[in-house]
Order: sequence, then C-alpha cells, then structure tokens
Amino acid sequence: MGEVKPTLAVIEVIDRDGSVRHSLSVRQWPLRVGRALSNDLVLDDAHTAAHHFSIAPTDDGQVLLTVGDSINGVQADGQPLAAGARWVVPAGPAGRPPTLVAGRTTMRLRLPEHLLPPEQRFTAARVLTQDLPTLAALVLATALVLGFGVWLENDPELFPKVLGTSAISMLGFGLGWAGLWTLLSKVFTRQGHFGWHLRVMLVAVLAWQVVTAGTALLAFAFSWPWLTDFNFVPGYALLGAMLYFHLQAVEPHHPLRTRSLAVASVIVGTALSLWFNLQGTDRTGSELYMNHLFPPSLRVARPVDTESFMTGVAELQPVLDTKAKKDAND
Amino acid sequence: MRVHLTRRVALLAAVTGVLGHAVQAAPEPAAPVKAPPEAAASASAAASAPVSLSARKVYEQARSQLVQIRTVLKGQASQTSVGSGFFVTREGHLITNFHVVSEAALKPARHELVLVTADGREAPVHILMLDVLHDLALLKVQDAKPVAYDALGFRPEAQKLAQGERMYSLGNPLDVGFAVIEGNYNGLVERSFYPQIFFAGSLSGGMSGGPALDQEGRVIGVNVARRVDGEQVSFLVPAAFASALLARGRDAPPLKGEAWPIVTSQLMAHQEALTERFIAQGWKPATHPRYTVPVPRDLFMRCWGSSEPSRTGGLDFERSDCVMDTRIFVGDFNTGTLATRHEAYDGNKLGTLRFATQYSASFRNEGFARLGPQHQTKPQCHEDYVDRQGLVLRAVVCLRAYKKLPQLYDVSVLVATLDQPQAGVQGRFDAQGVSYPNAMKLARHYLEAYAWVK
Repeated sequence: MGEVKPTLAVIEVIDRDGSVRHSLSVRQWPLRVGRALSNDLVLDDAHTAAHHFSIAPTDDGQVLLTVGDSINGVQADGQPLAAGARWVVPAGPAGRPPTLVAGRTTMRLRLPEHLLPPEQRFTAARVLTQDLPTLAALVLATALVLGFGVWLENDPELFPKVLGTSAISMLGFGLGWAGLWTLLSKVFTRQGHFGWHLRVMLVAVLAWQVVTAGTALLAFAFSWPWLTDFNFVPGYALLGAMLYFHLQAVEPHHPLRTRSLAVASVIVGTALSLWFNLQGTDRTGSELYMNHLFPPSLRVARPVDTESFMTGVAELQPVLDTKAKKDAND
Repeated sequence: MRVHLTRRVALLAAVTGVLGHAVQAAPEPAAPVKAPPEAAASASAAASAPVSLSARKVYEQARSQLVQIRTVLKGQASQTSVGSGFFVTREGHLITNFHVVSEAALKPARHELVLVTADGREAPVHILMLDVLHDLALLKVQDAKPVAYDALGFRPEAQKLAQGERMYSLGNPLDVGFAVIEGNYNGLVERSFYPQIFFAGSLSGGMSGGPALDQEGRVIGVNVARRVDGEQVSFLVPAAFASALLARGRDAPPLKGEAWPIVTSQLMAHQEALTERFIAQGWKPATHPRYTVPVPRDLFMRCWGSSEPSRTGGLDFERSDCVMDTRIFVGDFNTGTLATRHEAYDGNKLGTLRFATQYSASFRNEGFARLGPQHQTKPQCHEDYVDRQGLVLRAVVCLRAYKKLPQLYDVSVLVATLDQPQAGVQGRFDAQGVSYPNAMKLARHYLEAYAWVK
C-alpha cells in the first residue's frame, strides 16, 4: 500500500428520501461512472450506459463532465445533456454541489471548492419526544372533549358503560390512524414520526369539535340555518389540512405536490358533497332544517310573529310548483 | 298466477293497511289490536255457524248479477289484479271499488278491464265514472245489449238496519271462486271521515267491489276493506254512495285517457271539506300543564297516548299520536289525511346541557320521505323562531308538491318550545294532499294553537 492520496472530490449516490446511499472518495481523475466494471463508480441501473459519463479537470482548472455513449443522457442540475455533451461543474465558493441524474440514479458531486454550510444544531424533528408536554396537553384536551361529548349524549345511568366502550373504540381508532400514517412515513422516509402524526390527528379532532359546536351554537343563537347546512365545507378544509400535515412527514421533499393534493382533495370532496346533496334533496346543503337546540337563554335572534312566518312559507310555493311541473314533464 | 293473487292481496291490504296504520302509529300496537270481546264472540260464532238456508237463497238470487273484475295487461292477457263487482242496471252498469280498477283508470295505456261471470263468460268493460273519495267506480259492459242483464237493487236508505242484523257479502276471494260470506251489520264505523259500514264478517282480497246484501237480496254496501290486525272487522261503502254514483254517471261517456285530472279534482273537494271540518272542530282543552298543546278533538281522528319514564335516569316523556282512519287511495299511494303528534319532555334528571342535547336529537329525528320521488318533489322548508304571545317556538314548515296531482301538497309543521332549560314540548302536524292556501291555513291554525296556559 502506497501513501494515501488526498481526496479530490466526493461523489454520492442519493436515495429517493434524500439520504446518501453510497459515497465514493475520488483520489485521482478522471472519475468514470457507468455500468461496466471498469468504472470507478459502478452503477446497478438498467437505464444507464456501460460508460455513462466521466468527470475530469481541464488544463485551466475547471472540472468538466463529459457524457458517454448513452441514450438517456445526464441531467445536470436539471439541465438535460445528450451523449457527447460537455458541462462545466460550477465550482468556487458560491457554487453548490450539483445533482446529476443518470437513468434512475441520482448523484451529487462535492468538490473542495464548494462552500461548506455551517453545522446545524440538532433538533429531533417530528419524533415522539419532541415537545412532550404539548403532546400530553393535546391528548388530555381531546380525551376531555370527546368524553364530554359522550357524557352529553348519554343518560346518566348509561354513561359509565358507554364511556368505557367509547374510550376503547376512540383509542383504537386513534392509534390505528396515527399508526397507519407512521407506517407510511417509515416506508417513505425511514422514520416513523409517530409523535407528529398523533399531534396532527389530535389537533384535527379538536378543531372539528370546535367547528361543529361553534357553528351549531351560532346557528341556534342567530337563527342562521345555512351555517350548519354547509358544515361539510369546513369539514373538508380540515380534512385537507390534516392530509397536508400528515403528508409532510411522508413526502417532506415535495411540499408543492402535497399542498396541491390537499387543496385538490378539499375541492373534489366539497364538489362531490354538493352534487350528492343536489341529487338526494334538490338542495346544496346537507341539513333540511336547523336542528341544533341549545338552552333557551342562548338565543339571540328575535322571534317573528305568525303572520311574517307564514309569509316565508308562502314563498316556497313557486319553487315547489316549478319543480313539480318540471318533473311531471320529464 | 299466484303472483297476481298475492298482488291483489297486497292491494287490498294497502287499503286496509291504511286503517291498520292508525293503530300501528300508537306506540304499543298490542293493546288497541284487541277486538272488543262482544264483537270477537259474535264474529267467531258467525264464522263457525253453518251457512244458513237464507245465505243459499241470497247467493242463488245474486249469482247472475255477481261478477269478477279483472285488470288485464294489454297485449299479454295476464291479469295484474282481480276484484269483484255487480250489475246495477239492466243496461249493463256495474259497481265496483275504485281501487279494483285504479290501474286501468290511471294507466289505461297498459291495462284493460274484463268481467267474468259466475258461469265463466268474459266481457270487456269500460269505466264511466269514479268516486275516488268513497272508493267506488261505475263501469259498463262494452257494446252492451239493451236490457239484457240481471241487476241488484239498492236497499232504500230510509230502511235502517238494526245492529246485529244478518247480512251477506259476495265476491270472489283471492280468485278462488265466487263465495257468499255471512256476517252481521254493526252500524257505521266510528270516527270515520266518510261513512263506512262496520261489517262483522271475513272479507278477503279479491272480494273488493262485491256487494253486501240484506236478507231480501238488496244491496246495503260495497265490500272495500278489512282490518288485518283484527278478526272479522271489515268495511263496506254504504249503498247510498253507489246509487248516487249510478245516478250521476248512468249516461256518461266512457272515461278517456288517464284519470289523474278526475282524481285531482275530487281530492281538491276532499281537502276543502277536510280543512274546513278540521279547523271547525278546534282543539282539546288541558293537554299540558304549562302550554296549550294542539291535540285535535276525536270527531274523525283517533288519539293514542303513552307515558314513558326513562329507565336509565334520562329523559321522561309523554306522547300523543292522533291520526285519521280515512285515507284516500289514489293508485300507488294514499293521501288526503291529517295527523298530529306531540311529545312532552321532562329532563330535570338530566340537567340543562344534557337535556338540550337530547331535545335536539329528538327534533332532528324527523323524516319527510313518505312517498318516492316519482310521486312528489323533494321537501322545501321555511324555519324561524315564532313568538306565540311570549312563548318562543322553533317552527319548521316543510312542503312537498305532488307531481301527478297538480296544486296539491303535503305539509308538515315541526314545533319545539324554547322557554324552559330542562323541559319542553315538540309537536308535529301533517296534512296530506291539501291545496297551498289550505296548507297555509292549517299550518297557521296549528302554530297559533301553541301558547302558555293562562
């Protein structure tokens, strides 16, 4: 073994989750990459050529990438290079290590000239232990809110029994939901992010409770039936937000894609519900009449006299007649 | 063939089911189903007694006037339903039930009517006139020969029958064969909107439209329905309505096209009379200690009440259901009836918040999907808080329009009192097949009945 030569560059093979799968120190130029065994970096990728590309410095000190006899070519920092093309690797203190894609393999070339970013402080992102008090508070709040719901809806003598079965089913559902997302995270990012998914779920459940209780109370207090009639709109918005935040721990490298997916699901869900309601009831809303009754002291809207109430009833006739006539003619 | 028989049974049950419904609407159907002991005794005696000589005589006399009416699918020659009928003139006029001929009347493009005599001869018949409200139809033999038929005579109205008098109902039950059924006259059905005779005898499907005769063989009534939840509780349309229909329609031309306009105009007259009588009869007094809750008098309605204290320390409530026996059969559905209901809740064991939750759940739990979308539009509702002399109500009025009965609607009124944090009354009023002005009038009449007891 002779003396160890200094490292001229490092080429890294990047996994689809962004982590480095393989790293090779370059101690002499040229660096040859391809499927053939005579390469310095041997790729196991059917979409790459035997000698896919090579990298070597020129006389004036620039580092030059030359694409070999390949049908797929190379994407260098997003720029497509065909067979035989040459490309100067950006160097100097301002340059960032370029990303090179050959076939389905993503690589990164690091040169000594590239600026080395400073060390980052370690924060365990999206792990269970992160901000445990907040998570505990969320769990407690959700349990209290859901428990209160069970207490409201059940007779005094049934409450203890129902509370037990509800707690089991809620716990089962919650763990199942967070567990499923954890599994997805694990598959795509190699990290579970259980704490993150749990938090997203709990916040969504609490937000939904606030939305339903709040809209029901407002609808009752001010006699605004439309408010709860379209409860499915904030419902889908919440579901979309929930999806977005869950996906952040599954596909962290494509925020635009996950955001579009969440927005699309809100739009599609709302549109489908509107269409479904129209088909089923001839109305866009989901509640035929406001049916949230609170203690009488919470009513703010003034009652009307029978006369003006009946005027409102009279106004329904043209609507009914039009629909009856239209359907009778169909 | 068997299928068609069951169809006929189902159709008769539809009419009888209506009557049965009044009872089913009560929370404990077992109690009202029990027949009064006297009626049950006489009925079972009648059933087990051998057919008397007079029954044989009556049948022999009426045999040639009695027919079976078949509704036949055009171009397929298979019957869709069967009923009975009888000749009332020597020119070939026949009386039967509207519900026996409703398919031919409402869907004439696909159905036609054929009569079958006791000796097996068949002849096509057509409809001259309908009395939908009393469930009668006047038919005539097509291409009738003049003065060629034996006819049954009507018993004069002035000759009253005594309760318990023997009578004979004739027809062709379940397409099994012509039969005479012996029974007793029991006066008129109580609290019926239109007069009907209470016949203690066993009517079966397929006998609809057949005559019920006195001992001299004169028509007292027309078989129409029976209670499926009782024994030998059967109903007849009084002969006076049949003879009136004959007088009106004797020279009428045969019905052309679908009979919906006729049905609609008769229902219009019905709802006018119904609304007027309902509003005129007023409400019962003292229905609740705190509120005047509208409960109709039982002139032509029947109210069943129940009290249900919670077994699980929850909401105690009392309820009252008022329904009419009379409903108007119009082909695929019934209409022309009124109903009210209320529940008085006491939630002092629950506390304010829990009471509000359960009170809401009860208010939510109301349906308006009585008939399918082929018959009615989807409901349209108006809702608000209504002030009744200081008592605040949440009121919802929902209406559905009939598609084949233009300008007729079903109206439902929901009411919840909102003045106490741990108690309240929720009521519902339903009127079927009423005009818009009458729907408004009835809804207002119902709403304005709510107030605090002075």
